[in-house]
This record gives sequence, structure tokens and C-alpha cells, in this order.
Amino acid sequence: MHPDTDDAAVQADAYIDSLLIGHARSPVAMAGDAGGGPLGGQPGVRDAIRLLEKGLPRFHPSFLFEQWLADHLRRQADPGGDGESSGRIVPIAVIRAQGAADARHPDKRLLVGGAIASGVSIAGAAMFAWRRSRN
Amino acid sequence: MLRRGKDRASVLVNFDVDRSAVEAARRDPRAFEALYRKYVAQVYNFALYELRNPHAAEDLTAQVFTRALAGLPGFREQSAPPGSSFRVWLFQICRNAVSNERRRARRHPDSPLDLALEIASTDDVQAAAVERDQLERAWQAIGQLPDERRQALVLRFVEEMSTREIGEVLGRSEGATRVLIHRALQAVARQLGRGSDAPRH
Repeated sequence: MHPDTDDAAVQADAYIDSLLIGHARSPVAMAGDAGGGPLGGQPGVRDAIRLLEKGLPRFHPSFLFEQWLADHLRRQADPGGDGESSGRIVPIAVIRAQGAADARHPDKRLLVGGAIASGVSIAGAAMFAWRRSRN
Repeated sequence: MLRRGKDRASVLVNFDVDRSAVEAARRDPRAFEALYRKYVAQVYNFALYELRNPHAAEDLTAQVFTRALAGLPGFREQSAPPGSSFRVWLFQICRNAVSNERRRARRHPDSPLDLALEIASTDDVQAAAVERDQLERAWQAIGQLPDERRQALVLRFVEEMSTREIGEVLGRSEGATRVLIHRALQAVARQLGRGSDAPRH
């Protein structure tokens, strides 16, 4: 491998790390500077990184599917059991975990089952799914 | 098991984050649910980016977790901590399932995922237009990449895996994975009309 290619790849990797942890101007990112800001020597790669970091949304399966699969796996794990949800509000716990992840990227879209949703509507969908599973 | 590190700090952080959950699931398969809840969205995400169809992504997600639960007794930690050997193993299963699905369906995703472009309505029309444009360009950029490069970028930017973890999923060294990602980024840069800073590969 050409040393220049290795160095450029290492710099780009460090820049991605710094963006993902939310500190684009951290010392790690600055190590890749060759003038003109982070990755100044690779403006095209820097722009690509910024586009992908902001532009690629996260998806979440629908909560009905998630619960269905949980029940399916429960039956597989415990063939003698009833395989039914015990009524625990599990989707809410999942939402909290997802919300925590998104808190690091408040500008990143989250799509639930194919529909882009805000944190409020996600909670509503989860509650709806939970109520349906109880009926 | 803690690994001996170069200093005390590394000893403190060098553990597999899923080890206790995996051991619990081995003892009692019903405990697998904790691992499922933790990773279901990530697996679904990857499947959706690869198959670009929500129903196919759900089917594939179900396959992956069913296989993982059945295969858990044979699972062995492969990767060095920190991180999760289980997550790497899960994505290896997922990647194989995607390949099988592609062979079965004999088709490659060939169009942007329309649902991703259904940006939520907002009062700020200009901001919505910018967001839509950004999303479209990102989708088009990764959609035109060869499989391995696209998968590496999705694992890096969407799943936020480390380069080492991605290498383990793809069966490559960390250095080779870093170069693979860099070349993928150069390809994206060329699509954006910003390719003059890097040599072609």
C-alpha cells in the first residue's frame, strides 16, 4: 500500500471518529489538517464524510414487528412456554435506548417502520403498539 | 475476562460489552431477548440499507435473530475487546443472509429508497428542501458503490462501528478496511464532483 494512501486513510478515519463522537474540532480531527480546517488536504473526502454523516438516516422497525419477532424468539427459546408478552412495557425501554443514541445526533433523522418520526410520535407509536398487544 | 493492557486505564476498558448477556443467554435461551432488544434496530437498519425494502428487511431481520438464537451454543468470541464479539457475529450472519437473499431474488437494489425521501413536513420549507437534497445525494452516492464499499460505509456512518469491528464483519484487516472506506469516500467525492484531491483506484 502506498504510504500516502495509508496516511490519508488514517486521517479520514480519525475525522470520522471525531464527527461521530461530536467533536469535529477535536485534537484528533485537527491532526488531519493540512491547512484549511479538518482534512484540508482532502476537501472532497471531507465533504463526502460530512454528507454521509448528516445525510444517512437511521431506521427502526415498526414496534408491531419488533414485538412479533420478540414473541417468536421467546417461543423458540422456550417451546414449553406460552410465548406471549408478559405485559412489560418493553417498547418504551427500547425508545429510551434509541433516544439516548439520537441525543448524540439531534440533527439525524430516525425513521420508524419507514416513517420519519419525532421523539414524541415514536413514543405514541410504542404506546399504540403496546396497547394493541394487550387487546 | 480482562485483558492485560499497557496501563491501568486499558485494563479497565478492555472487556467485551456483551459477554455477560451472551453467557446468560447460553445458560437460559430466554435471556436472549436482551441481546435481541439491543440489536434489533441495528440489524433492521443494515438490512434495509442493503435490500431497500421494508418488508424484505423485516424478513431478513427475523432470519438473522432466529439463526443467532439457534447458533448461540456454537458462538465463540473472536474479536479482541473492547467492543462486542456478539455484534460482529450478528452482522456476519446478517451479511451472509443479505447475500443469500440477493442470490435468491436475483436482483440488486437499483433505486433510491423512496420512503427515506418522505421528509417529515416542517414549517421551514427551505430547510426541508436542503434536507431532502442532502438525503437524496447521500442515498444516490452509496447506492452506486460496489457491495463491500457500500456496506463498509453503512456500518461506519449509520451503525457507527469502529474500523476494526467493520474489518471483522467483512473478514479484512483493520488497515485494509480503513483503505476500503477511504476509497469508498473518494468514489463518493467524485460523484459529488469533488474528486480532484485524491488519486483514482
